[in-house]
Amino acid sequence: MPLIEAHGLTKQFRQAVKEPGLVGSLKHFFTRQYKDKLAVDHIDLSVEAGESVAYLGPNGAGKSTTIKMLTGILVPTSGSLIVDGLVPHEKRQQNARKMGVVFGQRTQLWWDIPVIESFNLARDMYEIPAARYKANLAEFTELLGLAEFMNIPAGKVSLGQRMRADLCMALLHEPKLLYLDEPTIGLDIAVKDSIRKFIHRLVEERGTTVMLTTHDLGDIEDICNRIVIIDSGKIIHDGGLADLKDNYARDRVIHFQLARPPASMEPICAGLPACDLHADGLSLSVRFDRFEFAAGEIAAAVMPHVEVIDFRIDEPEVEDLIRRVYLGQLSLAAPEPTADTPESAVAAEA
Amino acid sequence: MAVKVAIATRLRRARWLTYIYFRCLGQQMKAILAYEADFVILLISAGLVQITGFLFIWTVFQRIPDINGWTFWQVVMMYSLIFITEGVGSLFFEGTWRVSRLVYNGNFDQILVRPVSPIVQVLAGAVGFNGLGNIVTGGALLAISLGNVPAQWTPGRLLMLVILIISAATIRVAINLATSACAFWIKTPWSMVPMFVHQLGEFAKYPITIYSMAVQAMVVVAIPFAFVSFFPTAYLFNMESWSAIGLLTPLVAVYCMFMAVWIFRVGLRRYESTGH
Repeated sequence: MPLIEAHGLTKQFRQAVKEPGLVGSLKHFFTRQYKDKLAVDHIDLSVEAGESVAYLGPNGAGKSTTIKMLTGILVPTSGSLIVDGLVPHEKRQQNARKMGVVFGQRTQLWWDIPVIESFNLARDMYEIPAARYKANLAEFTELLGLAEFMNIPAGKVSLGQRMRADLCMALLHEPKLLYLDEPTIGLDIAVKDSIRKFIHRLVEERGTTVMLTTHDLGDIEDICNRIVIIDSGKIIHDGGLADLKDNYARDRVIHFQLARPPASMEPICAGLPACDLHADGLSLSVRFDRFEFAAGEIAAAVMPHVEVIDFRIDEPEVEDLIRRVYLGQLSLAAPEPTADTPESAVAAEA
Repeated sequence: MAVKVAIATRLRRARWLTYIYFRCLGQQMKAILAYEADFVILLISAGLVQITGFLFIWTVFQRIPDINGWTFWQVVMMYSLIFITEGVGSLFFEGTWRVSRLVYNGNFDQILVRPVSPIVQVLAGAVGFNGLGNIVTGGALLAISLGNVPAQWTPGRLLMLVILIISAATIRVAINLATSACAFWIKTPWSMVPMFVHQLGEFAKYPITIYSMAVQAMVVVAIPFAFVSFFPTAYLFNMESWSAIGLLTPLVAVYCMFMAVWIFRVGLRRYESTGH
């Protein structure tokens, strides 16, 4: 049985429609107007234990809303949701015992008290047996390098330190499921890297199921084996990273560095009818579908006509790919007419 | 047997929740004490407020010997019960005043992802050391007024006194909790509703018989502040027609807490986790 199972999961928010300024506020006070926003629109999602899922989408797509339903914070408007045998919002506290949450924008630590005190409070709240608490705390302190700021209040440590402490706090009770909502937001490369390594290790060694939302594609490549993309409340892609590349990033580009400018482009173009050629001075690039041509064929077609000094092949970048999905330049799902406008989706996340 | 086990489990749960409550509250206290200067200033200002309050009552009763058939000491007892319950509310349950802000900026999320009752977390969410002043002043006034109760202090009566004080405090905290839940409906960072209702408690500093029927109905039935001060005092002073109602105070307390928890839970379902 899957650990997370959602069918037709939907969340609709009711938003006050106000005109700007004081007059608008007064008007709203007397004639209330509301607009319904579908933040999450009938999604089906099934996650098996041990998977690490990247949950992606542009701002306002419904990522956080989904996570908030999974954690039991929000009550779904309709649809069914079962997480490890429980309906999260009905058995919120039982659900909480089995999960860890890190919201990049917020901290679970108590602001004014030393980090270690927050951990001790978590120990009591989650009723973690003393021996396991001690062992976990020692391990995470070592792996995340928490020792240097353990006795400093959470409000006074740096963002990177706080995030590491938050991660430790979310995991002390050894949850089956870890939700990470933009865990690396605003962090420097070194901290990002240590957090990614840590999560990767967690998935490998403890078999923790991870669900991660992020805008940082480095997070995905380092941690996740599955990518779910949501846009305007609907899931538009669900599959492995390789699938995503195979299905939608078919293009590759070979860049040739030439000894002298080509005398004429015509013979080259004639040899590569289905490709997109671009010549600029001493460089020549050929964009091709890697399932139709092998890189060697392209080279073979180009070499006889020009003198090549060097060449390189560009792999499709996930980042570029997903950017194109967000911008609507690349449609992953069969297009279907919806009433949702991008504007309504942005408002729903806010 | 099964019932026995169920009761034992519930008791264990209640004990655990109480422990968690005091653990959270203890951390809040540490946090405040960390800013020592602030703490000292707070204590001094709280003390000054209480002294002014006491001087006010004293001045009033220099001029007005009794109000609507209620003597000076009876009114002092009502005052003291309002003070004490207010103090208990601030010192131990100040967290109810933080709810609207938590809900407004979405920080209530943090409470909901922990495996502890949100209501317990809300109640333990803050410490108002200024409540200490109310408790001390109120306690002193209560002790003096009790000395002027004409009845004999049997063990039963003493027990009832303790029950009445606990019930009165419970009613006040329940009212705070219930009104704090309005944050789930009214989305502003500082909702005025809890403060407004809180101020209605001022009515209960005087015998309710001096008010119109509408006000009486409000403080007896709608928002039962009368059970915080008026009815318990009537019972302790054996005021014929009112004292029997004073015995209902513990029941009213249970009812208020039950309603407050229910309202809070209904509100919680509406929580929309705004912000990011």
